[in-house]
Amino acid sequence: MTEIEVRELAAAFFDAYEHKRADLLDRIYSDDCIIWHNVFGRDTTREDNLAAMRNDTGQRRRTYDERTINAFADGFVIQYTLGGVMHSGHRGSMPICIVGRVRDGKITRIDEYMDSSKFAAWAGRA
Amino acid sequence: MRRDSELLALCDRFFDAIEQKDYETLESCYAPECVVWHSHDGLYQSRADNLAMLKHGMAVQPKMRFRDRRIRTFEGGFVQQHTMHVTRDNGFEGKMDVCFIGYTRDGKLSRIYEYFDTGRIAEFLGPSGPS
Repeated sequence: MTEIEVRELAAAFFDAYEHKRADLLDRIYSDDCIIWHNVFGRDTTREDNLAAMRNDTGQRRRTYDERTINAFADGFVIQYTLGGVMHSGHRGSMPICIVGRVRDGKITRIDEYMDSSKFAAWAGRA
Repeated sequence: MRRDSELLALCDRFFDAIEQKDYETLESCYAPECVVWHSHDGLYQSRADNLAMLKHGMAVQPKMRFRDRRIRTFEGGFVQQHTMHVTRDNGFEGKMDVCFIGYTRDGKLSRIYEYFDTGRIAEFLGPSGPS
């Protein structure tokens, strides 16, 4: 994929997340897509990931802000700030980095790095 | 112009230097203005403070290894994902998954971003805590 195509795919990925569009995410993930989270240290399947999005009622709104996107032939790395508005009205923000792998216009793998010690403050529970 | 081979060589030189406790080579990888950002505090650490921290680590940790290195280069830098393994004095082998992003200038590291989970710090520090 060209760098432009990789960037467009990365933008589509964030749009799907920001608008909680599991149907769009379903089209963006390859059939064998794996999502790995550093906070669990294990892979999750695309089905688990899509189900989590469909069932997610944790916040009123999430935004994917201050994105720094760097693309390469088979993927991308994105540094961003996850913004959240909780049902309580609390606003949280947290830095996250994801590394994606792509093939034939789809995402085949996402590795997500964040700091679980920040979850409580992000959600306004700290 | 992309210089992927130079970026890859810089990345390897930097992490190999830490593993081999080669402080001179490590220092030579940093541009004069280099700053290092960490996800746990969101702050930019100065070149001098970061080098002092790494030097201390080289002195007190018996062994440090960056395993499962996955590197990709892009215009102006690289990203390396790895698992950092540190052997402690008491024999405990701590490990931590890290995502390291290096932005370069004139073949040296100018800005570094490191992401990792301090919620799992016990798996890294072991029973004796920080050294």
